[in-house]
Amino acid sequence: MYLKEIVEKVGGRVLSGESKLDSVMVESAAASDLMSEVLAFAEPSMLLITGLVSPQVVRTAVVVGIPAILIVRHENVPEELVDLAKMNDLILVVTPLSMFETCGRLYMEGLKPVKRGKLS
Amino acid sequence: MIQEVVKKVQEFFPDLKVSEFMNKSVVWINPGRKLLHVKEIMRIKRISGVPVVDENERVIGIVSLEDIIKALEGDYIEDPVEKWMTKNVITLKPDDDLEKTISLFEKYGYGRFPVVDEDGKLVGIVTKHDILTGLLVKLGTIYLHDARRKEVLENPKFFDRSLITEEVIDKKGADFSFHIDYFDINLAGIGASKLKQFLLEKDIDERIARRVAIATYEAETNVVIHSGSDGYIYCFLRDDQIVVRVEDFGKGIENVEIAMKEGFTTAPDHIREMGFGAGMGLPNMKRYSDKMVIVSEAGKGVVVEMIFFKEGRENETQGSNG
Repeated sequence: MYLKEIVEKVGGRVLSGESKLDSVMVESAAASDLMSEVLAFAEPSMLLITGLVSPQVVRTAVVVGIPAILIVRHENVPEELVDLAKMNDLILVVTPLSMFETCGRLYMEGLKPVKRGKLS
Repeated sequence: MIQEVVKKVQEFFPDLKVSEFMNKSVVWINPGRKLLHVKEIMRIKRISGVPVVDENERVIGIVSLEDIIKALEGDYIEDPVEKWMTKNVITLKPDDDLEKTISLFEKYGYGRFPVVDEDGKLVGIVTKHDILTGLLVKLGTIYLHDARRKEVLENPKFFDRSLITEEVIDKKGADFSFHIDYFDINLAGIGASKLKQFLLEKDIDERIARRVAIATYEAETNVVIHSGSDGYIYCFLRDDQIVVRVEDFGKGIENVEIAMKEGFTTAPDHIREMGFGAGMGLPNMKRYSDKMVIVSEAGKGVVVEMIFFKEGRENETQGSNG
């Protein structure tokens, strides 16, 4: 799914990486407010959906190789986060929708879950 | 002790006004609320005192952590705030200077003073921490000396040999090194990002670089959250493997075995709010590395050593269960 479609489906606002919406595509997504959980199961080239707006979100994305972050249940995010996303060439989108509704809409559109490994 | 230091330093800043170092985003409560609410505010905001304001935002009282402890002991935590708050509140004005502020702390021994404007309206609060932060910003530099560091550095058992192969490690010869010299959780991950970038520049396979970066990220975060000291990341590139060592000189781990269990955490609420502290740090390091050894003793710092084989592994993207 192209990021452009994702932004449309969740009524999102693009804060960083606008020019890449037509070219970046994700097949899977993970949704969590726990960055350690994202680190445990993340795949590169997925969409990260989170309600967290700390700089850790961008760092996690950079470390894993995640190209796009969708922030849920926020009208706005701290400027610091936007700057960090721009600096790292990431797509950053914000939606006021809840995590549940965001995931529901995108799942309906065919976005897949990550292949979740087994917890030890 | 802090008071003495501040007293000496204040001579250099005769013009520093309360308005420059007070905390403007002050949390307050209305008199009709319960002490129970104050307790929750204190826990969530991590503060130890809350001013009470009336409908005109004027300060009419203050509730301290001590009041809450008494309320819990005396079993009246459900009582309204106005019944037990301290009514005779000592306040500061935005234009008061540092000297006046410090004299109040000395005279009354309270932990905080609300700041009010000429109408008595609450505009800020000052704790010793605010003064110290204000001074440090003025000084423009923070110098922290950890006496334990030298002591542990000289301990060859932890710091000079590989935990896995026991060979002597020449840290100066590390292909990559990074000093974790900050205490702000918001900065955690900078070292891991740089290491990933370094590995990619060295033409290391992207999947391995990612495994290394994720495990290092968790280790780096641990240093910032738990050690209470600074630390180092070292990376050595070998023909068939990548070795990462993350060391700190801080509090150490009392029981490594328990800490390795998924879900075990000693992280405080504000760390969990940042998306960490779920007890997955050490398990994640194990999941993404091929060999991992952690050595620690309470008070002696932590050394984590991880080896990542360059040859692929069965489950490339997910990490295995170790």
